[in-house]
Amino acid sequence: MFVAFFESVKYVGHLIPIAFLRVFLGYYYLDLAMTKFRGPFLVQPRFAGEIAEILPTLQAPIWYKNAIETFLIPHWQTIAFLLVGLQFAIAFSYLLGYVVRPMALIAAFLALNQLALTAAGTEELPRMLLAIHLTLAWVGAGRCLGLDYYFFKRRRGLWW
Amino acid sequence: MRHVIGFLAIVFAGLIGAQFLKNSRDTSRDARPVVRVFGPSSFVSQWGPGPWLKTQFEKTCDCRVEFVDGADSTILFQRVKSEARSGTDVVVGIDQYDLETASSSFEWRDLSKTGFVFDPAVQNALGHSKFIPYDWAPLAFMLRRSDHPQLPTKLDDLLAPTWAGQISMEDPRTSSPGLQFLLWLIHVKGEEPAFEYLKKFNKNVKSYAASWSMAYGLFTKRQVKAAFSYVTSPIFHVVEEKDTDVVAVEFQEGHFVQYEYVGVPTQCRQCELAEKFVALLLSPEGQKIVMEKNYMFPVIQGVKEGTPFVNVPPLRTVEPVNLPSLADRERILKKWSALRRME
Repeated sequence: MFVAFFESVKYVGHLIPIAFLRVFLGYYYLDLAMTKFRGPFLVQPRFAGEIAEILPTLQAPIWYKNAIETFLIPHWQTIAFLLVGLQFAIAFSYLLGYVVRPMALIAAFLALNQLALTAAGTEELPRMLLAIHLTLAWVGAGRCLGLDYYFFKRRRGLWW
Repeated sequence: MRHVIGFLAIVFAGLIGAQFLKNSRDTSRDARPVVRVFGPSSFVSQWGPGPWLKTQFEKTCDCRVEFVDGADSTILFQRVKSEARSGTDVVVGIDQYDLETASSSFEWRDLSKTGFVFDPAVQNALGHSKFIPYDWAPLAFMLRRSDHPQLPTKLDDLLAPTWAGQISMEDPRTSSPGLQFLLWLIHVKGEEPAFEYLKKFNKNVKSYAASWSMAYGLFTKRQVKAAFSYVTSPIFHVVEEKDTDVVAVEFQEGHFVQYEYVGVPTQCRQCELAEKFVALLLSPEGQKIVMEKNYMFPVIQGVKEGTPFVNVPPLRTVEPVNLPSLADRERILKKWSALRRME
């Protein structure tokens, strides 16, 4: 595994800068998920409160606002758990370079929702994250310095 | 695909395990019985009366008080339902409009009112055997005298274009004062004229915040010139900021009153301790702290004597003969949401 980890540089060395970006984002998501896990995010409904507050002012389509109102806010605890779980999954995936392509697509989906739920004037970060996740998914960023290379070597497929 | 599912399963299993471990560590540190009190943020947070009551209660009960933050009343009941397995001993912060929801969603123990001398102002709120009010206050618009040489005297005065984007309101779907405003409007004007009024009034509203604290925060930060709040709110400014400029404006239409109740569900695990906690909440000391921390009137007679609360000018209050049913409220809130979406 160790050999394969570095062997990847020989074949996909041009992806090293992308691998660094991937690891940096992995750390960013790990920090995000840990802060939520240690704090009251999973047990206090502030997240639902904040969304309920901002919802009437959002420019999102009506069907999306309805879905948020009827599903997300009443089931805030399940959603909060899923969100933290997915953030941990993205973090480990990016740090280890494992199943990066599907995880990057999930991360892009989360960023898209974040973009839709962000107040006007503060949408730069989710927009940037969306672009980066899509890029990581496109190139299959786990192939360089990651476990995706160990499992799948140089075979290209839909999932890696 | 196998890799992806397996990976996600491991991460979520790890998260469930870590959460379980975190919860069991928190509870195993102390073997004393735990009284779980569910309440809104205004009650359980550091600046609310909850922490003081907890300290006082734990001095004598040989137990531990654990607060569960329910943000606002709507979310409060969801939390009581979702955490039923862990036990719910006391629920505070139920207003008169939530009583029907509370009664239909859970079973409650009878609470004795003997031994408490209630203020005559809350006599109308004492008709429930399972819930006891612990604070109250009429609701009104707060303004700064210096901003408005001519104070508004009726609801229609707030439709003037000079108020555009200058009023901070609470969302009636998530906040009790927001619901009170909507029902007050309907009570005063009738349903259709009330919604016609709202179409014009909403142009002057900066935002409908999810909770009272968020809405009132805009007013205290001077981002708006008026906020819908409790008539006792100006005392906060006098006590905390030595600012006497804030006033609760009296309207010709009269004002709705909010009562906050406490109840003990039959699913309680520490039922006796729960009733003792309620007794502490209604004791003169408990009432004084609720009054000072939540800036609401106490329900027990004599508690507010010698405090700035005596100086709050009495407003003419109106109380609906019949509270709207749950179905009626849902219908009205749907109509309100539809109106907001059309803007």
